[in-house]
Amino acid sequence: MRIKTLAITALALVGLAVPASAGAKTTLIGSGSVAAQPVLQALFKTYETQVNKNIKFTYTADGGNAGIKDVQNGTSQFAGQARTPLPSDAGTTYIKLYLDGLCIDVNPKNKLTNISIQNLHDIYRGILTSWSQIGGSGLETTIDPVGRDTNGGPYTFFLQSVLNNEPPASNVNALTADGLVVNAVKQDPNAIGYAGLAWQKKGLKPVKVEGKTCEAKNISVEPLKYPLSRYIFIVLPTENPSPAVQKFVDWARTSPLAGETINKAGGVAAFNKKK
Amino acid sequence: MEEEFQPEYGPRWSDQRVEWMLGALVLAMVALLLALIVTVFVNGWPSFAHNGLSWFGPGGNVDDQLSEISQSAETGAGYVYTFHAWPLIWSTILICGGAVVLSLFTALFISVFLIEFAPTWMSNILRPVVRFLASVPSVIYGLLGVLVLVPFIGNHLITEEQKSSVAGIISLTGYSLMAAVLILTVMIAPLMVSIFTDALASVKAGWLEGSLALGVNRWRTIWKIGVRAARPAIVAGTVLALARAIGESVMLAMISGSTAFAPNPADGLIFIYEPSRPLAPTIVKSIDQLSSPPAKATLFAIAAFLLFSAAMFSLVGWATRRAMSRYGAP
Repeated sequence: MRIKTLAITALALVGLAVPASAGAKTTLIGSGSVAAQPVLQALFKTYETQVNKNIKFTYTADGGNAGIKDVQNGTSQFAGQARTPLPSDAGTTYIKLYLDGLCIDVNPKNKLTNISIQNLHDIYRGILTSWSQIGGSGLETTIDPVGRDTNGGPYTFFLQSVLNNEPPASNVNALTADGLVVNAVKQDPNAIGYAGLAWQKKGLKPVKVEGKTCEAKNISVEPLKYPLSRYIFIVLPTENPSPAVQKFVDWARTSPLAGETINKAGGVAAFNKKK
Repeated sequence: MEEEFQPEYGPRWSDQRVEWMLGALVLAMVALLLALIVTVFVNGWPSFAHNGLSWFGPGGNVDDQLSEISQSAETGAGYVYTFHAWPLIWSTILICGGAVVLSLFTALFISVFLIEFAPTWMSNILRPVVRFLASVPSVIYGLLGVLVLVPFIGNHLITEEQKSSVAGIISLTGYSLMAAVLILTVMIAPLMVSIFTDALASVKAGWLEGSLALGVNRWRTIWKIGVRAARPAIVAGTVLALARAIGESVMLAMISGSTAFAPNPADGLIFIYEPSRPLAPTIVKSIDQLSSPPAKATLFAIAAFLLFSAAMFSLVGWATRRAMSRYGAP
């Protein structure tokens, strides 16, 4: 008798579950860049609520390089990536989605307002070690450079555009996430660090690089205005990309609504039509 | 007697099937463990084969070696395996060894207090609290360290002249040996306290009472007799805490500073402020290079070394406990 009751209950539960799954949404799986995550999440939310209610996005921020590997072996249908393609990214197509800038931040106690690319290079290579060697900061103390470790897109971007592909010196504190970099700069008066444009709203003090401020209107790659501007890419597999993802990418690149979402979330819309 | 009594031979079916099911479970667990060990050692073998014994020695900057290893897979000029892990091993010895020594003494004194000198109501409250502390996830300690301890050390304890004396080589911010040892101590001490208190509480009351009756004071009784009888459990607790400390990866990755630098005691006071990076955090920090075969071999080699050390500590602990167990309490 007990077994019969159990079996009937189990069947009833299965029966209840079936109609629930009939109205299921399609889930699009993505992964990749942590730097792109705030803007991508905002785009996902706008798309899910206002464009196509049957789509659900999941995004795992495990780093741009990990995201590319996921797309190459089919675990993810798309990836967010903050650096330009490398030969090891075979089998994937990079699509420019929006613009981002890498801002240089110092602690509010530091009076520095402008820094040159050469000084940045020397600080992160260990050639310049004291704030007294760089004018305008009002400090005489040792510089504490903070950066990302090799897991991150911002690290690769900084390596290419500032350090000329030479690895940073051993006195650079390499942290695992932009959030930790922001935290370290906020707590240490002698720190200098780099983080994406999307992080600047959290009470940091970005400095001008070569006289250009790190703000949305200066972020442009062609023509290059703010020196540390870059494209954020969305990466799809070259063979059989999912049509739903392609529709999302087209919407995100061209729609004015998507452009507004990108700008509000901290990116700079590159190709979207203005309303 | 008409019929001879025929006894049943062998176990009953109901016992037999239980024996088989539980045996199968044990076999499965042992097989899984063996598979784990074999996978780790087989995958890490290329790194040991190319480096030989110098894998454990010093020589060169570990960060540079790691990036060369992972770049060599991209360029296709042949894999590079050169790796000298001594700075990582030294950092593990300093941080984990220092934390275990510090928490051994702290935990011993705390547990003696809880068993012998604290009033019963206090002991009844504190012992479950300590057991709860031992189960707090380690990431929380990492957050506390990053938000509270590291800025405190960096902004208030490290002076400017100390920083400028090593400028260009390492940065003396709060991400240091001292922060790592302190937080790791706070993390493993509750574990040791809960094991020690259980051991001290199970010392034969007759021994302690006899000693008190002979006129020995309470401190001497508990220290010379109670702690001595509980020595096997103290060793067991230390080994357990050491194994946990060595495997601690995420929390140490946040706090110990991320340069693979071997702190030098000859530097004087600066020594405790120097950043370093033990073995387990190195695996965490380089985890996304698993797709490049030489880097994968190197990471598995580090994992194999960690596995081997854990097994060795376990063995040493067991041997020590056997030697000590002639004093009575298990």
